Amino acid sequence: MDLMLECIDLGFQYRDKIVFSHISFQALPGRFCAILGRNGSGKTTLIHCLNHILNPLSGRILVQGRDLASFSRNDIARTISLLPQEQIDIFPYRVLDVVVMGRAPFLKIAARPGEKDYTIAEEALRQLNAQDLSHRNFNRISGGERQIALLARCLAQAAPIMLLDEPTNHLDFNHQYHLLSTMGRLCREKGISVVAAMHDPNLAAMFADEIIMIKNGRVMAKGVKEEVMTEENISALYDMDIQKLRRNAETFFSPRDISLNSQL
Amino acid sequence: MKRPLSTRSLVLLLTAVLMVSFILSISSGRVPIQFSDMIRMASTFFQNPEDDLMSKDLVFLWIRLPRCLMAVLAGSSLAVTGAVYQALFRNPLVSPDILGVSAGCTFGAALGLVLPFNSIYSVHFLSFGFGLMAVALSMGLARVISIKPVIILVLAGMVVMSFFNALLMVVKYFSDPYDELPGIIYWVMGSLSRITWDNVLVMAPFAAAGLFLFILLGFRLNILSMGDIQARSLGMNPSFFRMILITASSFMVAVCVATCGQIAWIGLVIPHLARTLAGPEHERMIPVSALLGGIFLLLADSLARTLSSAEIPVGIITALTGAPVFAWFMFRNRSSGWI
Repeated sequence: MDLMLECIDLGFQYRDKIVFSHISFQALPGRFCAILGRNGSGKTTLIHCLNHILNPLSGRILVQGRDLASFSRNDIARTISLLPQEQIDIFPYRVLDVVVMGRAPFLKIAARPGEKDYTIAEEALRQLNAQDLSHRNFNRISGGERQIALLARCLAQAAPIMLLDEPTNHLDFNHQYHLLSTMGRLCREKGISVVAAMHDPNLAAMFADEIIMIKNGRVMAKGVKEEVMTEENISALYDMDIQKLRRNAETFFSPRDISLNSQL
Repeated sequence: MKRPLSTRSLVLLLTAVLMVSFILSISSGRVPIQFSDMIRMASTFFQNPEDDLMSKDLVFLWIRLPRCLMAVLAGSSLAVTGAVYQALFRNPLVSPDILGVSAGCTFGAALGLVLPFNSIYSVHFLSFGFGLMAVALSMGLARVISIKPVIILVLAGMVVMSFFNALLMVVKYFSDPYDELPGIIYWVMGSLSRITWDNVLVMAPFAAAGLFLFILLGFRLNILSMGDIQARSLGMNPSFFRMILITASSFMVAVCVATCGQIAWIGLVIPHLARTLAGPEHERMIPVSALLGGIFLLLADSLARTLSSAEIPVGIITALTGAPVFAWFMFRNRSSGWI
């Protein structure tokens, strides 16, 4: 398989605080790659470095073999899209007008989106079964619907690499599963490389193909899900005693003390 | 989310309203000028330019016409810069004053008024210069601090604004209370009564260039209003755009304040009105803001000229009408999730 995104020996620090260093991994087309780590482990910073929203202080990022440092801001946006973590109230834009912003990297600086761009935006919403949202007020839809709208914007951006920054934050149970399974489907259907910072190891185990575990600013473990998602790794990653539970083919991770209590 | 009018018809309608207001405005005042007078003047001008004009023609040509043009230009400029600032700072409470441009201009003008060699040009020039200096200081300070760019910019603006307000107090304190102080106070209230053709000729290119730029960058303003992270992920360099837009806005506002004094509320209220009528997308609401701002200041200035025998500073009229209008908008838009 071709390599889509490769990061080599990446490091970043805020003033004198080192956030992470020596991070290396690869993301492949059509594969869902989850980054796991505790709060403050630098997951969001890493995601932001991957599309140069923050400039990494050391190391290199290669996209299809080309160094990302040689890309213009617009080229990066055509190659890498981002589903942001922040939920902000903004002007009461229509959802369609938010989705069409994904066309920005393809438009001249003073151009406004044309009919073709709106068609692409509508098509992106349709792929997520969210065409009903199109004329709603972005501020007045639920958190889950907003994430779907922003995901549609990523699709309208048509980039081969998609970064998700804690995509299921603030989402209810239903939306978490809906969003991630849609994401997984798109990733495989369209051959997109997905790199997602995630909080919940169970969701990662369910939807991701590859896992990268980050602890104390270093890669603690990485590889295909089946090899990496072990009791030992997850216990070490979250600094707690974790037990693997099996039900048919599925596995779940749960803190051992809670699991014990529930068995009593 | 329904919009009764398309943007095109809204713009056409407002252009018509602006033209009617303009004709009403230039014909009203202490010297009434009929439409027939204007026709007569135009025909005299084109056929026998040598002929002497009547005194009321002089009033019309040298006082009222530039004044009304300035009202349109200044109103539009203040409204669109307000719209741009609200998008840049993602905040409905922002007006173009936020980076200290008005405070700087006011201090500059006050300084000009008390300096021994004061002339109308030195007042305008100092005012313009200090207005731009205040914005440059705010931006420089924010750049030195260089974290959370938007919030720091607002705070830096507050610092600079307070500083220039304090300097203004110093000037007021040391000014002559019978001669100079009333001049400063009247100047601060904002008025179009001193406008000459020179002012219009300086204002027009700034207003036109700024408006043109903002209309072109309308779609980019939508993206900027989503915040820096999203703007960067969509291929934009937010600091670059912020600098361009703030610089253009500052020139426009500095010329306005340097010639007309502080005219409150237009930069805050008109963008909200435009958003209610045209929707929040900047490519649609910027032209609508410009037209509404022009109409609003033109009508406010007509009231200022005609309400009483002595002229009322137009800043008082805009504040008196702007404040309740703003209150009404907050009520009307309370369910939009964003005032």
